[in-house]
Amino acid sequence: MERRTYLRALGGTGVAGLAGCLGDVPGIGGDDRTVLEGNARGDPSHPVNGEEFPSFSLPDPLADETVSLEDYTDDRPFLMTFFYTSCPDGACPALLLRLRRVQEDAIERGYADDVGLLATTFDPNRDTPEALEEYAKQQGVDLEVGNWHFLRPEDNEAAKTFVEDDVGMPVERVEDHSALGHGEGGGNGTGESEGRNETNGTHGNETHGNETEANGSHGENRTNGNETHGNESETGGHGDGYAFTHYNLIVLVNEDGVVERAYPRAIDPQGGVTPEELVEDTKTVVDG
Amino acid sequence: MRRRELLAGVGSAGVIAGAGAVAASGVPSVDELLGRESDQPEPEEPLEVETVDAPGSEAGTATVPASDRATFVDIFGTWCPPCVEQMPALAEANDRIGDEVLFISVTSESVGEDGSITRAELADWWDEHGGDWTIGLDPTAAVTERYLESGYPSAAAIDATGRLRWSESGVKTADELVAGIERALEADP
Repeated sequence: MERRTYLRALGGTGVAGLAGCLGDVPGIGGDDRTVLEGNARGDPSHPVNGEEFPSFSLPDPLADETVSLEDYTDDRPFLMTFFYTSCPDGACPALLLRLRRVQEDAIERGYADDVGLLATTFDPNRDTPEALEEYAKQQGVDLEVGNWHFLRPEDNEAAKTFVEDDVGMPVERVEDHSALGHGEGGGNGTGESEGRNETNGTHGNETHGNETEANGSHGENRTNGNETHGNESETGGHGDGYAFTHYNLIVLVNEDGVVERAYPRAIDPQGGVTPEELVEDTKTVVDG
Repeated sequence: MRRRELLAGVGSAGVIAGAGAVAASGVPSVDELLGRESDQPEPEEPLEVETVDAPGSEAGTATVPASDRATFVDIFGTWCPPCVEQMPALAEANDRIGDEVLFISVTSESVGEDGSITRAELADWWDEHGGDWTIGLDPTAAVTERYLESGYPSAAAIDATGRLRWSESGVKTADELVAGIERALEADP
């Protein structure tokens, strides 16, 4: 189907949550087994309140250590988000800002050692340790505090497996971003999103030669600009020939390894989570 | 009508991820759908920022929002290509209307010897990109937290009483910036 139907289903439901679909796994709400288009998300594929966060063990190249779920269970809550540094339009920085503000609050209110802040790249091929270190500075992250970890799967394939299959957050590599313009118009998707993403910005992107490494299988997305929904955020990119369409997901996990909250379109002004709200939710879980 | 503005905004925004232009108006609230006016924002406390020595900017401090006049805030980063792209529009907006407001660009990136950029490099960057107004530093990201919409860059116009009157993310034209600033200047708290 899958890709295309899947994206269309996203368009139809238009909802944040991502209609219960793990990447290529068929069986989404609003798919061809129903007459009506999906009216809401089905079972989200990423864990939500009350569900266990999947086990992981990923390298933090800056701290030179491996970070695992087990480091946090029975010890302290953590937040995890997913990003890539070449993110062209500030969506990923807006995600990191939220974790950054939790870090700041944790320093100010004395719970820095009681919370983990995990930012996982799904583009490790380009997000080298050096790139991540530079990004930390650009985003004002305090690495000295010791509660922040950039997690870098071995390569893009491993990253995709973790993010899509384990966590359940679809990430779509977009090869020919010049066809997509600089990014999507918004679409906050509360059931009325069809037709709102029609207009792509056409900001000048440089076009670069296509890369041919891992994950080259999604070429069919290139002309599907309007189907890559605004909620999942940007397409388009500066440099190196590919970008990602992805959800802006932040997950708050308690010390039992159970998800307290998933914010699948965290940065949206409506229906997302503001940095202030995330700080308060996190503090509540830390105190709980 | 709200609805129409919203759709137009989303369409033309096109620029930034996700909800680019939805901004302060956003998806209509229940009140808006019922035709009730409910968008009188609350005034916000001023935050103090360090300002840096650069073209059009003096080393010192400023408060955001200013207490004695309207404020325009550009949330930017030197690492951010769309922010660079927007610099000429900001310069033009500043030329046209900057005298009437505190016109300030704020970055939360790490500035300093251990940062991604030193103060001197920031001043050079500013000069290179035609900056000619105040730059503020936001190491705790408090200003950024308050005024960033869905992505970088974000623009916000606050009236003289500290109430947010307009904010949007994405690359704006000078006309859009001026129109947004005028909303703060014309606001009747």
